[in-house]
Amino acid sequence: MVESIVELSGIEKDYRSGDGALTVLKQVDLQILRGEFVGIVGASGSGKTTLMNILGCLDRPTRGRYVLNGEDVSSLNDDRLSSVRNRSIGFVFQSFNLISQFTVLENVEVPLFYARLPRRERHRRAMAVIESVGLGHRVSHQPAKLSGGECQRVAIARALVTEPALLLTDEPTGNLDSKNGEEVLRLFYELHASGRTLIMVTHNPEIARALPRVVEMKDGFLGEQVRQGVAG
Amino acid sequence: MTSTLTGLGEVFVLGVRNLTRNKLRSFLTMLGMIFGVGSVIAMLAVGAGAKAEILARISELGVQNIIVNSVKPPEESKPKTTNRRWIDRYGLTFKDRKIIEQVCPGVERILPVNAVRQRLWHQSHGIDCSVLGVDPEHLRMFGLEVRRGRTFNEIDSSEGAKVCIVRPSLVHELETLADPIGLSVRIGNEPYVIIGVLDDARFSSHTKKALAIDGQHQEVYIPYTSSMRDFGTMTILRRAGSEERSIVELDQIVVRATNSDAVAPTARVLGSLLARFHEKKDYEIVVPLELLRQKEQTQAVFNIVMVLIAAISLLVGGIGIANIMLATITERTKEIGIRRAMGARRLDILLQFLTETAAIGVVGGLFGCLFGLGAIWALVHLANWQAVVAWSSFALALSISLGVAIVSGIYPARRAARMDPIAALRFE
Repeated sequence: MVESIVELSGIEKDYRSGDGALTVLKQVDLQILRGEFVGIVGASGSGKTTLMNILGCLDRPTRGRYVLNGEDVSSLNDDRLSSVRNRSIGFVFQSFNLISQFTVLENVEVPLFYARLPRRERHRRAMAVIESVGLGHRVSHQPAKLSGGECQRVAIARALVTEPALLLTDEPTGNLDSKNGEEVLRLFYELHASGRTLIMVTHNPEIARALPRVVEMKDGFLGEQVRQGVAG
Repeated sequence: MTSTLTGLGEVFVLGVRNLTRNKLRSFLTMLGMIFGVGSVIAMLAVGAGAKAEILARISELGVQNIIVNSVKPPEESKPKTTNRRWIDRYGLTFKDRKIIEQVCPGVERILPVNAVRQRLWHQSHGIDCSVLGVDPEHLRMFGLEVRRGRTFNEIDSSEGAKVCIVRPSLVHELETLADPIGLSVRIGNEPYVIIGVLDDARFSSHTKKALAIDGQHQEVYIPYTSSMRDFGTMTILRRAGSEERSIVELDQIVVRATNSDAVAPTARVLGSLLARFHEKKDYEIVVPLELLRQKEQTQAVFNIVMVLIAAISLLVGGIGIANIMLATITERTKEIGIRRAMGARRLDILLQFLTETAAIGVVGGLFGCLFGLGAIWALVHLANWQAVVAWSSFALALSISLGVAIVSGIYPARRAARMDPIAALRFE
């Protein structure tokens, strides 16, 4: 039996607004199994970003239960959530979010620093991941000297370096030209093929159409897109 | 906690690296710190120097000593007279000495000094000298070491031997090739023999003043008894067209207290005794231990000023650091968001920024030490101050700057730690 990586049940999120609470997530249930590649689509304001934040353990649900890789994370305190982010989640952002004054190597080492690994071990693991995304020749460059595609590959290396259970990507090709975007997408498909679990938020219908499974946020509700003709 | 702290060394290095990124800004940030630390170091060094100087003076004059000098009373109190035979009488008397001996408590010894102005002749070569008639003990008490020959002994003193002890510079002035020891000279009209040559170490001007040695004349020491017999108490000063005669029975007495605790009370009794028997203020009392206290008071004023300068500089420096750190944190909001997303806890962020401010403190402190050394150099070489640099003062100054930096880093670091990671990530 394939274990589930993400299990959301009855997730709700309220925001306090001027006159009362505004519920942006309503009774969201979602199960993602190990090795799945799931797209999340939805118009802006649909609650997609809030869902991403909760999935990424950057935010806590107001109600409901979130089990990530077998661990109930719905009501952990800030320190414990930080630790979960460090161990179980890899983020890839639209705008790369690299630390500009750090070299490629140092950027990739950041999550390992917070995993309290010794320096030598950090170097070794970071180097291995950087090689695997094909940037071995760029380790001591700063992000400003890299192309957008290269930057996003550094970000992917950083997301992978802790061997997280879940890779969360938010519009990873949004800031890239089509050639670099395709390259980055190919990398994601390779990761998917090697058995990793990925969630990708995207606006791009073309990209979404190609994904094995897509869920859609609409007015705070989550629905499964049922499609034909696409291998799942 | 240990696992949290292990990475701080690296964060510290990063902090120093960040400082080099914007050198001018870092320098301006650290300026207050530099001045603060610099003045702490200068203050400590100058304070230690002043203390060392005073202690040196005191050891020259003797902690247990009270020196009483006869001084000529102010001119206006002298009766206007054209009488050439007028003899000016002033200063300490033998009676004073007897009274002090009998009445004053805590006195171990009293050493008299009879000073006359005479010429010392060797063959046809004459040198103006201050001839000081002293007890044998006097030389030892004021650290006058005989380098060649011998010092006075009790027999010289009791027999009134015609022997003298001189400075090497006087020997030099005599322009003789003969061995100065055993050299026959004349002091005034009296034949004397040089028996000893002192060390060349000169008294500090301060000590000279206390011992009433005028700097223009060579000092020649002879036994007190010889001085009293050969020259007496009258000094005749010949000036163009006039002659001034004065009688001073005792030019100086050195009162040695039984111990240093007895110095102050003895000096007080001495003062009131002399005040009773002298209408005019024709004496001065020099208490080396009091000098220390007076000097310490001036030093205290200087220290207060320096402490204020240091405190204000450090305060301003601390505010500068807090300010720049707040700016840095705003600039680096995105980085904070990234680190939080990658698993940094609030404590990690807090410690990171505290460590970075500590780096500012340490680097600023080091520059401050250099600045302090520069200030000390300037004070010593340009203003002729005394300074003693203790290495411990660098440790103190560095820990002060580190402490100030960390305290001023607390508020900005807490702000960084409390940022919402989602908002921080979205910050552009």
